[in-house]
Amino acid sequence: MQEQKGESSPSISSLSIVQMNGVSASYDSKEYVLKNIQMSISRGANYAIVGQSGSGKSTLLRLINGMMSPTKGKIMVDYNIPNPSDKKFKSLMHKIGYIPQNLGLIKNSTVLENVLIGALPRVSGFNSFFKKFSDSEIDNAKKILKQVGLQGKAERKVYMLSGGEKRRVAIARALVQKPEIILADEIVSELDHVTAREIMEVLAEAQATMKLTAIMVHHDLQLALEYADRVAVIKEGEKVLEIGVEGDKIVDFQSGNYTQTEILEMFTNESKE
Amino acid sequence: MNQKNNLIIGLIIAGVVVMSVNVDADPRDFAEGLPNIGIMLKEITEVDSSLFVTAFWSMLETIEMAFIGTVVGVAIALPLSLLAARNLNNKFVYVPIRALLAAIRTFPSILWAILFVIIVGLGPFAGVLAIIMYTIGFIAKLQYEAIEAIDADPMDAVGAIGVSKIQLIRFVVLPESASHLLSQILYIFDYNIRQTSILGLVGAGGIGFYIINYIKFFEYGKAAVFMLVVLATVLIIEWVSVRVRDKYIVKSQRGMQIKS
Repeated sequence: MQEQKGESSPSISSLSIVQMNGVSASYDSKEYVLKNIQMSISRGANYAIVGQSGSGKSTLLRLINGMMSPTKGKIMVDYNIPNPSDKKFKSLMHKIGYIPQNLGLIKNSTVLENVLIGALPRVSGFNSFFKKFSDSEIDNAKKILKQVGLQGKAERKVYMLSGGEKRRVAIARALVQKPEIILADEIVSELDHVTAREIMEVLAEAQATMKLTAIMVHHDLQLALEYADRVAVIKEGEKVLEIGVEGDKIVDFQSGNYTQTEILEMFTNESKE
Repeated sequence: MNQKNNLIIGLIIAGVVVMSVNVDADPRDFAEGLPNIGIMLKEITEVDSSLFVTAFWSMLETIEMAFIGTVVGVAIALPLSLLAARNLNNKFVYVPIRALLAAIRTFPSILWAILFVIIVGLGPFAGVLAIIMYTIGFIAKLQYEAIEAIDADPMDAVGAIGVSKIQLIRFVVLPESASHLLSQILYIFDYNIRQTSILGLVGAGGIGFYIINYIKFFEYGKAAVFMLVVLATVLIIEWVSVRVRDKYIVKSQRGMQIKS
C-alpha cells in the first residue's frame, strides 16, 4: 500500500499526533482529489489548511477522522489507528471532535440535546434510548455551553438560533466528546467578520484550556495566518506550501513548485471580498 | 427535446382512448344516465331526521375503530420502517422486510376485512384488524422513505462520534423524521375514518353497514343521514389536523409564520 514518490518520507515522530505519508485519495478512482500529501501535525498544534473550493481540503479532514480511507499512502493518527476497518476504531472515534461544514445539528432538538450527543459514547444503549443522562454529564454539558457563550439557551430549539449560535452548539457538541483533536471544516466562512472572529476566539480558548490539537480548514488565508501556528496551502489536491507562524512572524517556509509571491497572489482576490 | 415530450403526451392520450374502448367506457352511456342523478338527488333531500341518533352512535363506533387501528398500526409500522431503511441496514435485513411490507400493501383494506371476517367473525373487530394491516403497509413505506431522505449531514456528523446504531436512531433518525411521521399519522387517521366507513359493506362493523343497507333498498333519504354525519366528521377532523399541522409541523420545518 505504501507508496512514495519524490519527497523523502519522514518517520513517525513521537511529537506528531497526525502524520500522512504520500497520501492520495479519490472518490471514483478516476481522478485524485488529493495527491501525494506529506503532512506532520504535532500534538497541541493549531494547524490550518487553506485552499480554494474543490482543492481537496475537506477530503483531508475526512481522511483524518476515518470517514474515508486513502487510495494510496498511509495515515497515522496518534493512538495508532491506521485503518477504519479495525475493531478498536469505533471506540476511539470520540477522541476526534469533527465539525462538518454544514455542522450536522439536529434542528428540531434543543441545544442541550444536541450537545449531549457528544456524551453518547459514555452512555449505555438502554439509558440513551430514554434520553437519560447522569447529572454529572448534564452539568458538564451546561458548563461547556457556558464556556462557548450559550448560557441560558440550553432549552432553545436549534432551528431558532442564529448562524453564529449554531456554530457554538457544534463546537460545544465536539468539546463534550472530551476529544484530543478538533477538526473544523470552514466553520466561519459564511459568517461576517465580527462573528467569525468571535467564533475563532471561542475555539482558541477551548484549545488552550483543554489542551487540544486543532486542525481547521479555512477559505481565508488572512484568518488562518491570524489564528494558526502552522498553515498548509492546498492547491488542486497538492500541498504547495507550509508556513510556520509565531506571533506575526513567518518562522518556517516550505514550498513546492510555487514561489511565495505566486501563492499569496492566489488569495489576494478572495480575501478582499 | 420538446418533440420527444409531445410524442410522450400523444402516446399517453392514445393509450387512454384505446384502453377506454377495451373496458367499454363510453361517454354516451354517461350522458344517457344523467337523469338518474336527478332522481337520486331528489330522494336524498328527503332526509329522515329520526335516524340522526343511530347515525351518531355508529359514527362514534367508526371513529373508535379507526383510532385503535391507526394507533396499533403505527406502533407496529415504526420499528418495521427502521428495519426497511436502506441507510440503516444491510440488504439481508431490508430486502425481506420490504418484501413483507409490499405483500401487506397488495390487499386493499376491504379485502383484509373479508379475510378477517372469515377468521374472527362478523363485527367491528374484523374491521379494526383490517385497518391495522392497511396502516402498517402504508405508514411503514412512507416512513422508511422519509428516513432515507433524512439530511446526510447530521447522520455523518453524529456517526463520526462513534455512537451505536440505537443511539443514532434515537438522537438523529427519530427527531429528524418526527414531523414527517406526524403528518403521515394525521393523514392516515383521516383516511382510516373514511375507509372504516365502508367496511360495513362486508360486515366488518362501522357506519358503512347502514349506508350500504339503505342504498340497497333504495332508501336514499335514510342513507343520506348517515352520509351527512360522515361528511361532518371528516370536515371536523380536517379542521383539527390543519391546526395540529400548523402548530407542530410547518413551524418546525421552516420556522415560518402562518397567515390566518
